[in-house]
Amino acid sequence: MSRQMGDSHRRFLQTMMANGIIDEQGAKTLHQHCCQTHNAQYAPDRLDDFIDTINSKLQPMFMQIRKGMSEDNGHQYYALVNMVENDVTRMTSDYADNELELFRKMMDLIVGSEDGKLSSIDILNSADSMTTKKLKKSEVEHLLNRLVQDKWLSEKRGEYTLSTRCIIEMEPYIRTMYQDQVKVCHICHAIAFQCQICENPTCGIKIHNPCVARYFKGRTEPRCPACEDFWPHEIPEVRRLRSQ
Amino acid sequence: MSSRKRPSNPQSASQPRRQTGGSAAQEEDDDVAFTQPSTSQVQRGLEKVTEAQVDQKSAEVVQYFLLKDQKKVPVRRADLVKHVVKEHRNIYPEIIKRAARTLDQVFGLKLVEIDPKNHMYILVNNLETSGDASPTTRPTDPKRGLLFVILSVIFMKGGVVRENVVWNTLKKLRVDPGEKHDEFGDVKKVVTDEFVRQRYLEFQRIPHTEPVEHEFRWGQRAEAEVSKAKILEFMGQLHDRDPQSWTQQYKEAHSSQNSSQQAGGSSQR
Amino acid sequence: MKRARGGGDDEAPRQNGSAARRKGDPPHSDGVDAGSDFGPADLQDADNDPGLRREIRSKYRDLISSVQQNREDMLSPSNNRLTEVLEEANKLFKDVRQAREAALDAQLLVVATDLGKEKATQLFSEGTAFDPSAFAEHLLSVMGINRLEDEEDEQQNGGAVDGYLPQDAWHRVARRAECCFRTAPSFHYMFGSFHAEPPPPKQRTERQRKAPSKDAKRIMPTQLKKMDESHQEATEKEVERILGYLKSYYQDDPTSPISYYEFVIDPNSFSRTVENIFHTSFLIRDGLARLYLDNAKLPCIAPVEEGEVEAGVSCSRKQCILSISPKTWKELIDALDIKDTMIQPLNTQNE
Repeated sequence: MSRQMGDSHRRFLQTMMANGIIDEQGAKTLHQHCCQTHNAQYAPDRLDDFIDTINSKLQPMFMQIRKGMSEDNGHQYYALVNMVENDVTRMTSDYADNELELFRKMMDLIVGSEDGKLSSIDILNSADSMTTKKLKKSEVEHLLNRLVQDKWLSEKRGEYTLSTRCIIEMEPYIRTMYQDQVKVCHICHAIAFQCQICENPTCGIKIHNPCVARYFKGRTEPRCPACEDFWPHEIPEVRRLRSQ
Repeated sequence: MSSRKRPSNPQSASQPRRQTGGSAAQEEDDDVAFTQPSTSQVQRGLEKVTEAQVDQKSAEVVQYFLLKDQKKVPVRRADLVKHVVKEHRNIYPEIIKRAARTLDQVFGLKLVEIDPKNHMYILVNNLETSGDASPTTRPTDPKRGLLFVILSVIFMKGGVVRENVVWNTLKKLRVDPGEKHDEFGDVKKVVTDEFVRQRYLEFQRIPHTEPVEHEFRWGQRAEAEVSKAKILEFMGQLHDRDPQSWTQQYKEAHSSQNSSQQAGGSSQR
Repeated sequence: MKRARGGGDDEAPRQNGSAARRKGDPPHSDGVDAGSDFGPADLQDADNDPGLRREIRSKYRDLISSVQQNREDMLSPSNNRLTEVLEEANKLFKDVRQAREAALDAQLLVVATDLGKEKATQLFSEGTAFDPSAFAEHLLSVMGINRLEDEEDEQQNGGAVDGYLPQDAWHRVARRAECCFRTAPSFHYMFGSFHAEPPPPKQRTERQRKAPSKDAKRIMPTQLKKMDESHQEATEKEVERILGYLKSYYQDDPTSPISYYEFVIDPNSFSRTVENIFHTSFLIRDGLARLYLDNAKLPCIAPVEEGEVEAGVSCSRKQCILSISPKTWKELIDALDIKDTMIQPLNTQNE
């Protein structure tokens, strides 16, 4: 397998830069498109090899195209992430320092919350306790819109969650920084925000909603995979991949 | 345009010299804010650092170029040296050469020195936009539309226009520079400040005018990044006319440095 | 689609007269001749009449600025305004006596010559001239302009009047223009943009069922505390009670708007006002009521009709944040002259 990058790889990487995140189906189509545009050999089942080639060259810059699951629909996604924090990376100007402070506060609250969600009221209240330059309410609103638009947060009916892109990029950070608060899915072992929790107090394992759907699919009586207690929660449906 | 006058280096044992990836070669700058090290100084400097250190520095330089490009503001060499290269300034040419190579070979981006006097760098895409052919729709920036209109008017009007031409055209497109626009906010600021800082536009006072008047030209970034031939093609479609009927513009688009820069890419399509 | 003419239309263009005609015939010569017709004796008075002098200067300035303002439209080959300007200048020059006026005349001439030159270049340069107005018209089609039935060509001060543009108008231009640019895509990240720091230690041990309600409690007025455990339920009840009020006011007279502030403000209690605002926000969130601005840009509230509830889901939702302090509360009461509360407080009703 060639480890050398060609224009097809570069085009793929550039599209990842422009979009930040892309779902698996999208990545497959893009893979094909990039190979065809540059008359490169196209092996439909070699997407992950193709991405590995890119990743091997991105490594010195501490960048990576990383795969992860959406807590929302259970689909796989690819995100282009940064893996290092240093003097240079902190010079990014997408968000001001006080905006980043509020974002971190939001992460604190989301990680510490039961359901991985945060209402806009909670966010506004936490903006009151900022130590750097305080944000006005209208500025908070504007910031939230930008964070959603830039795909760092997701919003549904006034409640905010960390987006798939954010979780994929921030996972190592969250695991280190929130060691005693972070929840990990018993099935896929990735960190979990929106999940079901075993009600047996001595067990209490967590499972992502989509992982619940897949795990219990077709089982007549759902039982906790760890303690065998009855699983009392509603079992969601498996969400199908969009067909193309 | 890469290596013009680099003397040969007998001492390259530790550094196998490779070709730069067709990028702007900065090594030849003579007048500089910081003292540009000579080739022999670089050579001596390289002996004191490990290969890994040089690679690490150039990776940081790549990071820096990428993040500075988020806002499309050109990178000043002085800032690059001050914030990133730091104590390794004695081997600056080698570092930037490697960074340019990475940008080219990994990202498909070209490092271009747009202002040799003030040493400003920008990134330009080596790859042609695949446009509608691409399965993933890139997010579009409405400001790009605004910029396009202005660049087109300037180009079609012969390279320089008075500000009023631009404002009047925008007014006809429902954008009043005197009012806050839903998408662009303060239009005047976007056009005369943001686009100017990004070096897409030049906005200069016309001497001896009363009241004060300004004129617009293409900025250095536009010259490096925007294809006049493509604009003309678009104009042709728009006006349902042969692009060649704009004789002057056609000549300009197909003779200028601008078109020769684009030529390599167009053939890839 | 018709080509829009330049904004010069408002200047009632006259037919013939080429732009170039006047060029070889500068107002100077005419003016000098005309001036010499006057006898020295007549001059004395007119020369020193400050009112007349001022008027001449002001007319010159108007002419100069009219050329500067309408430059683009005057450049259009079909526009004869330049000729008219020069003719007017000729007339003015007859009365020019002082150096200041002559200077203005010279300035106008410079401006006019410059314009004439550009006009001529346009006419004689090889190939097709580029007309920004035509360009703009074509672009409007690309932008998906929605023209109103009859294209009202006469109105075009900046547009706005004829036809409206869709939301994504500029995105459309951007998409079409993309092929002309070789812009590098940029890389954005969140990790690494701030200092890694562990979160402040928090007594998160008492992380009970509904974590958010803890914070929600904080912003709710103390009075609500008595609802305690069934607190969520109580909120729901209160929301419904308020919806009842809103509906009955609306049914009393569906044509007269209900002022939002009048509805929520309790002039006797700030805290109840805050409660009302809080509860009313649920009505908005759940699509049971909607807010809109009246002609005076004041918010009004109306219940959403049964049938609309479902349909309304698809229409765009907007969030906004309302803050109220005792000071603004008092100001609103004064400004809106609120005497009574529209939402009877719960406890008084019970008692």
